[in-house]
Amino acid sequence: MESLDFNRDTEIAKDFLSNFADLDGEAKYMNILQDVANHKFKAIHIELEDLANYKDLEEEFLRRVTENTRRYIQIFATAIDELMPEATEQFPDEDQDILMTQRAEEPTDNPDGSDPKQKMPPEIKRFFEVYIRASPKGRPFTIREVKASYIGQLVRISGIVTRCSDVKPLMQVAVYTCEECGFEIYQEVTSRVFMPLFECPSRRCQINKVKGNLILQLRASKFLKYQEAKIQELAEHVPKGHIPRTMTVQFRGELTRKVSPGDVVELSGIFLPIPYTGFRAMRAGLIADTYLEAMCVTHFKKKYEEYELRGDEEEQISRLAEDGDIYNKLARSLAPEIFGHEDIKKALLLLLVGAPHRKLKDGMKIRGDLHICLMGDPGVAKSQLLKHIINVAPRGVYTTGKGSSGVGLTAAVQKDPVTNEMVLEGGALVLADMGICAIDEFDKMDESDRTAIHEVMEQQTVSIAKAGITTSLNARTAVLAAANPAWGRYDLRRTPAENINLPPALLSRFDLLWLILDKADMDTDLELARHVVYVHQNKESPALGFTPLEPSVLRAYISAARRLSPSVPRELEEYIATAYSSIRQEEAKSNTPHSYTTVRTLLSILRISAALARLRFSDTVAQSDVDEALRLMQMSKFSLYSDDRQKSGLDAISDIYSILRDEAARTNRMDISYAHALNWISRKGYSEAQLKECLEEYAALNVWQIHPNTFDIRFIDA
Amino acid sequence: MVGLPYDCLANPLGAVRFTFEKALASASAPAALEGKDWGTSDLFQRFLFEDDGISQVPMLTPTTIRSLQTNTLVRFRGMIQDMLGNEFYVGAYKDGDVWRTNKFSDVSQFPMEPSSETRMWERRLLYCIPVPGQNGWTEHYWGTQMNPLTNYTSSPRQKRQREDDISMDDVETHAPDHDFQDSSSGKRQREDGVSLQSPYLENELAGNCSSSFVPACDRSFFPCLLKVYDSPESEIKLNEVFEFVGILSFETEVAKDEIDEFDYGLCEEDMTHLPPVKVPRIHCLSYRKLAAHDFVSSSPILEPKSHIVKGIRDSLLSHLTVVLGNDGLAAQFMLLHLLSGVHARVDAVAVGKLSLNLTCLGKESSSIFGNRLNLAIRNLVPFTHSLPLTVDYLNSVSLSPKKDYQTNRLVAGALQLAEGSHLTIDETQLQAGTLNSTGVENARVLKMLMEFQKVEYDFTYYKMEMAADVQILILSDGKSNILPADLVLPFRPSSADTLDGVEPEILKAWRWYLATVRSLTHSIEQEMQKVVEDDLVAARQADRSLGSQDLSRLLTLGRLMSVSFGETSLLLEHWQMVKELDRLRKERLQGSA
Repeated sequence: MESLDFNRDTEIAKDFLSNFADLDGEAKYMNILQDVANHKFKAIHIELEDLANYKDLEEEFLRRVTENTRRYIQIFATAIDELMPEATEQFPDEDQDILMTQRAEEPTDNPDGSDPKQKMPPEIKRFFEVYIRASPKGRPFTIREVKASYIGQLVRISGIVTRCSDVKPLMQVAVYTCEECGFEIYQEVTSRVFMPLFECPSRRCQINKVKGNLILQLRASKFLKYQEAKIQELAEHVPKGHIPRTMTVQFRGELTRKVSPGDVVELSGIFLPIPYTGFRAMRAGLIADTYLEAMCVTHFKKKYEEYELRGDEEEQISRLAEDGDIYNKLARSLAPEIFGHEDIKKALLLLLVGAPHRKLKDGMKIRGDLHICLMGDPGVAKSQLLKHIINVAPRGVYTTGKGSSGVGLTAAVQKDPVTNEMVLEGGALVLADMGICAIDEFDKMDESDRTAIHEVMEQQTVSIAKAGITTSLNARTAVLAAANPAWGRYDLRRTPAENINLPPALLSRFDLLWLILDKADMDTDLELARHVVYVHQNKESPALGFTPLEPSVLRAYISAARRLSPSVPRELEEYIATAYSSIRQEEAKSNTPHSYTTVRTLLSILRISAALARLRFSDTVAQSDVDEALRLMQMSKFSLYSDDRQKSGLDAISDIYSILRDEAARTNRMDISYAHALNWISRKGYSEAQLKECLEEYAALNVWQIHPNTFDIRFIDA
Repeated sequence: MVGLPYDCLANPLGAVRFTFEKALASASAPAALEGKDWGTSDLFQRFLFEDDGISQVPMLTPTTIRSLQTNTLVRFRGMIQDMLGNEFYVGAYKDGDVWRTNKFSDVSQFPMEPSSETRMWERRLLYCIPVPGQNGWTEHYWGTQMNPLTNYTSSPRQKRQREDDISMDDVETHAPDHDFQDSSSGKRQREDGVSLQSPYLENELAGNCSSSFVPACDRSFFPCLLKVYDSPESEIKLNEVFEFVGILSFETEVAKDEIDEFDYGLCEEDMTHLPPVKVPRIHCLSYRKLAAHDFVSSSPILEPKSHIVKGIRDSLLSHLTVVLGNDGLAAQFMLLHLLSGVHARVDAVAVGKLSLNLTCLGKESSSIFGNRLNLAIRNLVPFTHSLPLTVDYLNSVSLSPKKDYQTNRLVAGALQLAEGSHLTIDETQLQAGTLNSTGVENARVLKMLMEFQKVEYDFTYYKMEMAADVQILILSDGKSNILPADLVLPFRPSSADTLDGVEPEILKAWRWYLATVRSLTHSIEQEMQKVVEDDLVAARQADRSLGSQDLSRLLTLGRLMSVSFGETSLLLEHWQMVKELDRLRKERLQGSA
């Protein structure tokens, strides 16, 4: 009864294989079969996804395939046997083919032809391998989630490869010849261990009452490549206080040599118990080991460009994009546990997003990655910010300027201890190619790395000419550096240039430079004290006043944003040029220039604007993007030269503006009453006259509206 | 136990079978029983806790293992050292027309036909070891009641045992007439406890350095493989201390290893490295997480009433003062330190930890006071450890646990400690020298433990941070820079009087005090919060270098101080005491600088 069922399923499989059409209307599997017949490749992957999409297929069939995969591989193989087309191309003869032709040509002179023992198993004729691939939809299982009820089923899991065995041959069909009757006897091997035949089971030998001696024909037998590996749960999937689980995986045929220890992979395969035989069965008794018979291996991708959105994420992103305040919302969700520093977080968000790389016609490349340097007193959470950014970025490397190995930050030529060959080993910056490299203790960098980093930051390559190896490695990475001031703590009596312990050539390569000072401020002190008391009292962090987005959502949003490459419209060119020249002018006027405004500055403005446009999912840069870029650059300058700001009237007004804006953002309101505003700014040491000046100036810029009578402020949402 | 057709103690499998058949009768298909409990757990819970069967269950120890029979009920106390993942076994099979179960056993009770219909079930494997650094007195206490099977006949003795059990199991409901019982036995206990200590130290140090699977009957290494059924995974975590009750399965005879060992590739390790001959297995029926007070022998007091607590506190404080050579300030901080423990984790901060660094301990003073202190602490808390910090030690030992992929086991490092352990790090022996990469790594691991109460476990391809809860005391000459403690206090002994012997009853009371008071709840009232906030702001205005850690430390001190008086909310007087203590400490720091 069951076999009948399977016959029917074979028919279904045949129907599916011959009639399934992909999106282009091509008979997908028949094309594959033709290629296989022409010996172009061996593996036939049957996608469960295709089965699910196939029009007149019963649900039941799909379920049966998933739950009894191993049997259905056989069924599909039988179906393919019947469907296999003739080869349309010539291919060089191989041993096996000669054997096969010989076997095929051999006349069926066998008087007792129906002897089942002599029937050639279909296995031996097959020169293809069938794999059933689980649907890539949904989240793969962790090893922990694969329970006893999944035995025999097709599962998809993710993990890290910890050990790999050598590739060994595994006998699939043993072929013997009988000394007496001369027939070939076949034995299919389905497990790892098998009991060889010794006596000829053929009818002729039985009739003749002779015990035909069987000789194993290694050349005629069929072997499969076989490899065993262990995978282990990924650290992020292990619940707190538990040890990662491991699982044995068997790779066969074409799937061998696909993984090596340390690879993060996603596998689909059949979860099977290992059948014990002989003495071991008795001793191990009731326990069964299990393994996963691999059907498909995918290496985990860690690049934004290859980030695949999961089902609901797309929806979530579009919902977020519609929301106006996405820029603030995303920025706040970066390191939500670190209080304040909103502008810095915005800058870091832009670093994650980046601008598109430009390649000019003459081959010149202009980098799109933003570089940011955070400088500040010890203990202002610089390192936490860095680590958090690395966690959000799909590909990020965290390192310290001192480096951990001889390879350092860039690259080194090293002698391989085994082969004595010179090998090139990439450092952190090379490893972070197409990602983000966070360098803590940037000021304590080795001198050799410091020279090399100039190249990395502008040309985005690492060139090496050592020990006869001359090469250039890609290092298209955004550098996020953190440095301490020259004397450990920022010394307000000295000029910023003296405090910053880095050469101007290096500094000019950073798009944004931020100084985080531990300022004496009654407000922050009280905030800190409240926070600490709250933590002790309630055993949790105080509510943030908003729910930060999950890092996975952030990642998805950023990767979606990174696909765009916004351009600058013609009408904005003039605007940017004017802004740039005015900065240059200002610098020329001042007798103590703080920074070197160069063409690099202009490029920075463009990059930041482009990143802002990407965040809006827009293809063109808008004026508001340029304004925000200029504001960020201005803010970064203020953070450096904060001691001057009291002196210059203009700076005070910008500061008042940022205070008001920050307060409004924190309370999530668009309106601020005049009394509140006065309250806030007076805490920071500004006068009412300055506030009025600020209100007027920014009202003229259409940043906010001022109520004519009460002077209440209403922000105009950009 | 009247009316039950089996003996839960001697034939627990009978009970399992009985319930299985009963459940099968009502559920019909064995598939319905998969992955859940069919009443066995309830039955044993009733037997163990309601009918007080637990006192009759023998404790599994290296000494009792020889006399215990396989397939009987035993108890085991230990720390989860490793988790070996799931084991799939034939849970039920058809014997003719009858379904049989193999749950809770390693071998089937009835012969199993190879062709019979079977069901695959799963169970979790846990590798347990006795709690590292467990002190003699706790174990000795268990010793009094181990092996009840041998003295089953002497009823008076057994009666007392029972009383002990009750007191241990449930401090709160214990009747007062059991207090202060039998001081002579207490005394003996104490003496034994002390005599046990010196060999134990060696043992412990040896244990720290060597890795796991060593001879079966080493006292400090008596591993046990627990097989846990059906319970939610989140209930049992690594490094937690549990008492398990279950069915013992232990092969005393060495089975002949006549296996034709094929090259089985990668999948044979688990079993070959843990042969059932050396490692007993327990099929767990019931488990219970143990806290420090489960290891304290008896409870002289019903509940923490403030005047009694205050009395004990004063006597303990004066004891510590004597131990610390009449340095009252150090004794105060030491008391608070002994009461500390991580009670919450907020972001990266472990709230409630209080590591103490006693500085100004020269070569001579460290040999006197270091040993004294070690002895005193060992007598007070159940699990203690000490690390001699030398360059050689740092360069050679592996502190953090490491996964060995060859054997598929987690190799315990010296820092795989049970929750609430006490760790003394002696830095006075540290000389100038070069650290190799292991040494640097070890120093980093130690620092991380100090700062975040986390230990990194090395899984080669990635590291996993495991939360720890360890009280750390550092003895050093100057301020320890490798190990930044929460509190740094220059140690100023004024005398080195010899210690008087401590009455065992008082010692018991102290242990009880430390264990119980630690677990008190704590809160800060609204008005008090205001006072504290203002004080913190004032402190920060006065000294800009104070960070959130320092403020957090002050609050921790406040909590511990009020808790040490048995109070559950912060009182102004205690807060003031803390501020005063911290002021005195700072003065001393300035003086010594």
